[in-house]
Amino acid sequence: MTPYLLRRVLALVPVLAVVVTVVFLLIHLIPGDPVGVMLGPDATPAQVQATRQALGLDRPLHEQLLKFYSRVLRGDLGQSYFLDRPVTTALLERAEPTLVLTLASLLVAIAIGVPSGIVAAAHRGSAWDRLLMLGALLGVCVPGFWLSLNFIYLFAVRLGWLPAAGYTSIFADPVAALRYMVLPAVSLGFSQSALIARISRSCMLEALQQDYVRTARAKGLSQGAVTWIHAFRNALVPVVTVIGITTAILIGGAVVTEIVFNIPGLGRLIISAVLRRDYPVVQGVILVTATAYVLINLAVDILYVFIDPRIRYE
Amino acid sequence: MTAGRFVSRGVLALVALVLLGAGALAADTPRRGGVLRVGNLGEPPALDAHWTTASITETLTNHIYEGLYSLDAGNRPIPMLAESHTVSRDGLTYTFKLRQGVKFHNGKEMTSDDVVASLTRWGKQSIYGKALFAQVAEWKVVDKHTAEMKLKEKSAIVLISLAVPNNFAAIYPREIAEKFPPEIKVTEYVGTGPFKLAEWKPDQHIRMIRFDEYKPRGEKPNGYGGGKTAYLDEILWIPVPEVATRVAQVETGELEFADDLNLDAYDRLRKNPNVRPLVSKPYYWLVAVFNKKEGLMTNQKLRQAWQAALDIEPIMKNVAGGKSEFYRMDSSLAPVEITAWHTKLAGLPWNERNKEKAQKLLQDAGYKKEPIRFMTTQEYKWMYDFALLTKQQLEDVGFNIDLQVVDWATLVKRRNNAKEYDVFTTGIGAFYDPTHHIYLTSSWPGWTTDEDILRLQAELARETDPKKRLALWEQQTRQFYEKVPVIRYGDLFGLRAIRNTVKGFNEKTERIRFYNVWLEK
Repeated sequence: MTPYLLRRVLALVPVLAVVVTVVFLLIHLIPGDPVGVMLGPDATPAQVQATRQALGLDRPLHEQLLKFYSRVLRGDLGQSYFLDRPVTTALLERAEPTLVLTLASLLVAIAIGVPSGIVAAAHRGSAWDRLLMLGALLGVCVPGFWLSLNFIYLFAVRLGWLPAAGYTSIFADPVAALRYMVLPAVSLGFSQSALIARISRSCMLEALQQDYVRTARAKGLSQGAVTWIHAFRNALVPVVTVIGITTAILIGGAVVTEIVFNIPGLGRLIISAVLRRDYPVVQGVILVTATAYVLINLAVDILYVFIDPRIRYE
Repeated sequence: MTAGRFVSRGVLALVALVLLGAGALAADTPRRGGVLRVGNLGEPPALDAHWTTASITETLTNHIYEGLYSLDAGNRPIPMLAESHTVSRDGLTYTFKLRQGVKFHNGKEMTSDDVVASLTRWGKQSIYGKALFAQVAEWKVVDKHTAEMKLKEKSAIVLISLAVPNNFAAIYPREIAEKFPPEIKVTEYVGTGPFKLAEWKPDQHIRMIRFDEYKPRGEKPNGYGGGKTAYLDEILWIPVPEVATRVAQVETGELEFADDLNLDAYDRLRKNPNVRPLVSKPYYWLVAVFNKKEGLMTNQKLRQAWQAALDIEPIMKNVAGGKSEFYRMDSSLAPVEITAWHTKLAGLPWNERNKEKAQKLLQDAGYKKEPIRFMTTQEYKWMYDFALLTKQQLEDVGFNIDLQVVDWATLVKRRNNAKEYDVFTTGIGAFYDPTHHIYLTSSWPGWTTDEDILRLQAELARETDPKKRLALWEQQTRQFYEKVPVIRYGDLFGLRAIRNTVKGFNEKTERIRFYNVWLEK
């Protein structure tokens, strides 16, 4: 498996090179200018020009791209125009909130999605099946934005049980961190659980129709043992794939959730960076997100080996 | 009723009155301490007051820094770090005496060295500084607490330019003013203001703490100036980009103050007994700016047709969410709040609602339904709303409007290129002097190069007699409606919310200030 892993890791290099180049070109080619935003709408063209020069934005695009490559190879992602700090520092500051939100919402999504899918499959056609799949349908259809704002209104404004928005580091105050994380994790997790539930259900249905399940039943095993021990493990590969994809999406920043709940994570960072044309930050976040995507996919591929011993990488 | 009962009831009533009065007095007595959490829209691009015109920078930096002058409740200049000034008989030399014993946040005493270095930098970068320093022949230190400004010609804008709160003439320590060239933003934040910067964590908070060695002026608070007292231990400025979240957080008490709210939150906030919605005036007058350098709108008749066609009230009502509290119909170029420059001129061709006149002007202009590129953004909902309604009204009289919706960064960039648009939307905030109305200058996008307009602007900059200046300004207002460099719609107001526990807040200033503010227990 080691040569396979090496090949996959090496494949990361061209993927990242392409992603970074495309993003660099796209963000520079769309209209808009960081300097105009920074200096304010009433700045004169002469002021704008002087600041563009000071930031090196007046240099030809290919020159800026080459400079960017050479810096990345040295591990330097540049300096944010707005945040007065290196991009790497800004990314590290935003990593913790995004990772905490990712893990918390993933836990919620798995806790809701997997059992819902299994129960629905095991009771196919029953009221339970319909009810759970209606919940999943709602999770897919209801906009995260709407759900989040309603959660805030109900649990923070009306009932006063939880804070409306904000973030505290889990290392600084774990209890406060948990209180802040409940609403965003549940609203995001609920949306993400819908896909997991639907995939779990369909994979379980397929597994439950296999011969080995019929054999297990014929042996006189209980329904629970058949469902959870025999069918579930065999249905797990696609479910893990979906969980992997969900994780990658969340790592890239749950933009809407981070904005509504005012969580200073990567999603919020990239949105503000795009709106302000903070080119180095946009490039930095995309680079990190692309790397995370590739590595999470790799991790999922490796997990397959442990879930299903029939899978081998030569 | 017996006499005894009457007396005892009277005594009881007196005691109750005294107790109530004492309670009210206690609530009105400022107390030190507490952390005020303010939710605002986003991050400032810089905390360098000289460097950017961004209004969020203006709000934040006015707590950290001070200038030689500030604005009083009537928006006229009053001394802040200056003790006094004298003007020579020929009007060409201003001598500023500075207050003594004023300290920077780093413990150093403020002297004329700092003032001269700071204003030299401001004069090269700020839009107001550049306008003033174009008239300055020499700017020098006289002694430790005196500085002298020699002018090339008589000027009416010296004090007002030093007093405007936006892109303002903040005094930094000389070492900082000289270390950072004007085009590079300052990243060391040392001022003389009542609060000092303690921490800036982007997207989390900007923390300001009370500057205990702050030396306030002896006068009472007056507008942006006068005596300032920092009662609060800290101000925590928290960027909350989602406006619905800002509303929810001020309702739950997670914020004590929320700025820049959507007008549709007004009714909900009014129902909350712990919160008070504040209507902020002036906010902006809505404006459509014509490209007068190139393209269709260089034709004055076409611009006049646009002006004649508009029915402004329904547009304003719609933009203000149907609430009359949030808009004002006014043709003056300076809002009511800028008392010195607000005009009440009759017979101006504003809000004419005259379709026939508009159609006649279109015909006279030789307009043949060519598309007019009208650029707006949805990032500011009010801009998009008024652009959309304008398009409908104009197309009714025969215009062909190509509404181009882009993001704000794109709009700000494109509006500097005469080839890319014919009209764009924005808002005109409070300008404190007639010469500060940027849309009447040739350098601002839209490029007003009309010789008559520019000549009057130059006269307004030179003329120092207030009465003559007002007459010139009225003349300029009439000229504005004839030449139509831009379209003046109505005044739109903003919405803020404040918790009842916040006391001493001055609701009359355009931008928020938290000196002289305290928190009730």
